[in-house]
Amino acid sequence: MVADYEPILSSRYGVPDAHRLAVAERNGAYATAKKALLTMRPDAIKEEVKKASLRGRGGAGFPAGIKWGFLNPKEGDDIYLVINGDESEPGTFKDRTLLNLDPHRLIEGALITCWAIGAHKAYIYIRGELAHSIAILDAALDEARAKGYVGARPFGKNYPIEIFSHPGAGAYICGEETALLNSLEGRRGEPRLKPPFPAIKGAFGMPTIVNNVETISAVPDIIRMGGETWCNLSRLAPRDGGVRLYGISGHVKKPGVYEAPVGITLRELIDDYGGGMLHDDRPLKAVIPGGSSTPVLRPDRMVEAEAEDHPLHEWHGKSEIDVPMGVDTFRALGTMLGTCCAIVMDSSVNMVDAARNLMRFYRHESCGQCTPCREGSGWLQNTLEEVCEGRGRPEDVALLVDIANNMMGNTICAFAEGTAMPMLGMIQQFHQEFVDAAAAGLPEGYRHDDSTRAGLAGDPADAVADGASTDDTSTDEVTA
Amino acid sequence: MPSFTLDGQQVPYEPGDTILRAAWRAGIEIPHYCWHPGLSVAANCRMCLVHIESGRQMAMPILRFDQAKQTYVPDTKPKLMPACQFPAGDDLVVSSTSEVVKTAQQHVQEWLLLNHPVDCPICDQAGECKLQDYWATHDQQMKRKRTEIVHKPKAVRFGPTIVYDAERCISCTRCVRVCDELVGDHVLDSRERGNRSEIFVAPGRELDHRYTLMTEHVCPVGALTSRDFRFKARVWFLKSANGICSGCAKGCNMHVDYDPRSREVERLRPRDNMDVNQFWMCDDGMMSYKAVREDRVLTGLVGRGEARERVAASAALAFAVERLSAVPADKVAFVLSATASTEENAALARLAEAMGSVHLYLAARPDWEGDDILRSADHNPNRAGANLAAGHALEESVEDLVSDLLAGAVGAVVAVGADSAEALEALAPMAALDASVVFASNHGVLSDAASVVVPIASWAESVGTYVNEQGRAQAYRRAVTPPGGVQEGWRAIADLAEALGHGLGVERTEELMPMPAANEAAAAAEVTA
Repeated sequence: MVADYEPILSSRYGVPDAHRLAVAERNGAYATAKKALLTMRPDAIKEEVKKASLRGRGGAGFPAGIKWGFLNPKEGDDIYLVINGDESEPGTFKDRTLLNLDPHRLIEGALITCWAIGAHKAYIYIRGELAHSIAILDAALDEARAKGYVGARPFGKNYPIEIFSHPGAGAYICGEETALLNSLEGRRGEPRLKPPFPAIKGAFGMPTIVNNVETISAVPDIIRMGGETWCNLSRLAPRDGGVRLYGISGHVKKPGVYEAPVGITLRELIDDYGGGMLHDDRPLKAVIPGGSSTPVLRPDRMVEAEAEDHPLHEWHGKSEIDVPMGVDTFRALGTMLGTCCAIVMDSSVNMVDAARNLMRFYRHESCGQCTPCREGSGWLQNTLEEVCEGRGRPEDVALLVDIANNMMGNTICAFAEGTAMPMLGMIQQFHQEFVDAAAAGLPEGYRHDDSTRAGLAGDPADAVADGASTDDTSTDEVTA
Repeated sequence: MPSFTLDGQQVPYEPGDTILRAAWRAGIEIPHYCWHPGLSVAANCRMCLVHIESGRQMAMPILRFDQAKQTYVPDTKPKLMPACQFPAGDDLVVSSTSEVVKTAQQHVQEWLLLNHPVDCPICDQAGECKLQDYWATHDQQMKRKRTEIVHKPKAVRFGPTIVYDAERCISCTRCVRVCDELVGDHVLDSRERGNRSEIFVAPGRELDHRYTLMTEHVCPVGALTSRDFRFKARVWFLKSANGICSGCAKGCNMHVDYDPRSREVERLRPRDNMDVNQFWMCDDGMMSYKAVREDRVLTGLVGRGEARERVAASAALAFAVERLSAVPADKVAFVLSATASTEENAALARLAEAMGSVHLYLAARPDWEGDDILRSADHNPNRAGANLAAGHALEESVEDLVSDLLAGAVGAVVAVGADSAEALEALAPMAALDASVVFASNHGVLSDAASVVVPIASWAESVGTYVNEQGRAQAYRRAVTPPGGVQEGWRAIADLAEALGHGLGVERTEELMPMPAANEAAAAAEVTA
């Protein structure tokens, strides 16, 4: 089935130099935007996107068509489109393929979306570390501008659209849409209080639609094919429509980004797309389904959905990794589809160590605004360091749960949940491993994360320099 | 007025109120750190989380230990909302004391102390610290974290008035918001992330605007301390009296914190008054307590310059009587003061009336720089009160007095208060008089020019009333007792009147306070407040 699938969203990935406008245009780019701007009413475009059941590709899975409907501009308001390309979730690397290989698809999607929602300006906020992608996108924007597609009269239509790229400054939290808006405005990247939501008061105080790079990139295909046709490409139509990019990394033979219909299973992703497990003697132990914030699944756990009205009843008794990957199905499973980029872990992984690795990241990236996240993320990491180093106590497992339970839902943005959920998920799925480590540290001979990294980097000190410094004693600026 | 239910009690609210603001107005405290009634909502401390009973459950599960299965199983909990941000509404049933809320409060409290040095014994905030208060009411447990705290910069000089300790900081950003929203000067912000966060001063700047002490005032913990107050007093030894700032015509309400053992005023703090200063005071006002300690007239003074002698206050009064008796009563000039209390001015005005003198003048400090926040350009607290005491607007200044002295229209001077806009050289005719009597708490240009100075109590040592630029009469209370042998100003003036045979017949300050008719009710309320 992988062989006979004709890619849509990534159709130009195989075309050499598709990031050049001329090449992209020969392969279909901008035809839809031209048609949409010259012949379609904004409402008609919005209707198609609504019919497409395009669930947001940034992680939350909110239907894009419905989000666009939240706009209710007042007289004199400017509407902004902001495209979230701050792809920083560990294990997630799909948006950058669009930026690198087919930036004109994103620009075309942005043009159509601007026309549909009444925006004259779009900002593409890109993770600062993706310098290569930013350069490619900027070059593509220059070409589109020179050609007149972006600017005062796109395709000759008297509807100016300007598109700007804006690099981030190295903060994971700026992928949260309101922190992104703060960063875009030159403020500290901290999530804003909601309400008001961006559709009411977003960039520069104006009504703003924030969508993921992949979401916007899907718009040209939806308009070209018609929302319903595009939606029905999905195995989970009509609730969760179309095709999407799947990422897979970790212990598989062919890690990478693959396009497939919405609703394939994790097992298909691993075996058919990822080429199966990396080592024949190391079976699959667990999968983080959609970016590191999503609770882990394990193949040897069966779906318990005996009740006929249970949303997962169809898969009752099957393995968790045989449930189709959809926004609603995975939520019913107690995890999230997130960014749809799976991290595959084989039997050599110790979950406590994996948890420590993740918590180092979250501790480092918490913006520090809300108490539960600022202190909770640090304490989770600190406790896991103690446990991993053999200084744990039996009650530490309960402590980890207690910290994470009380981070859940108690902060301004979802970062605390993104930290606590994987922590809770790992303890729920691999309780015994945590109990053992709390009693005696990590087992002898496991594949230590730091040693692996050190092996790659050459210098073990570098590998642990940042995350391990729980008790940072940097005292610059002390004037005591 | 609409209302909602908070912990089984009906709480009224005004449109636009949040749960926390409505509760605050009703005198009910929902615990909080970052919220301040005079600042925007930050909702970052998460101490004020409450349970809205009509609210939803969390979408994602938490874990609960299942004893039977001996493992963790998914569980659910209600989504708590920050009371500081959640709008009050008619049908709301809110709990700030349920078990789930208590658990959240306890955790927030534990987290705030997780990387805190707990150095209360050397911290100036101890005794009025929210971390201490809420630990006692909402946590009461030993810290469960076993490792060293995250160390951060300590004793950082933010500017001439403020010192910062990042380890004690809870990143509530109240100080940042005071600078942004009250002063309009974005001189503070947060930097770094997570539990390395700290507040810092904009590069190339100091925290040096006119309201820097308000950053310390709003700091709920010991992170920001006043360089003036730190290490001087333990707050639990301090008592407080209601004061009115003497700095300018705004009349900011304040707490006068004093140590009853040493009878010293140690600091001033703003006292909330929505109609005058809201929650704030300027740095000059906050520092105005220094006048109670510095440059005081503590004894009677007779003579001038080198020949000036210290005498007892009663002896100075006797000198005054003797000198003034040598001048015809209607030739005595009376100088009221825009810096003295209304009562002191009223006592002097009555004496003038009793002596048949029509020569009334007003001494005032020159204008200083005002602003649109609090500071009035009029550097005097009681210009309106002095006019009120005189019964009419005092048109004639000390400059006019000098002219009248030169012209021979007046032959003696009695003044209350030592401050005036003129330089000493300009007062030469007054400095040449045999009979120039000044009642003063502090040295100033008028007392320097006087032949007799009678010491009187400062504002911190008396009761009195200032009438501010709004025409609002505001009473202040005595904080500390006057230095030995020193009387309150009105009483000293009354004694002089008695000795001159023009007894005022007043026993209480209230009898001296001439109420402006329109303001009577408001002022009465103010006086009794």
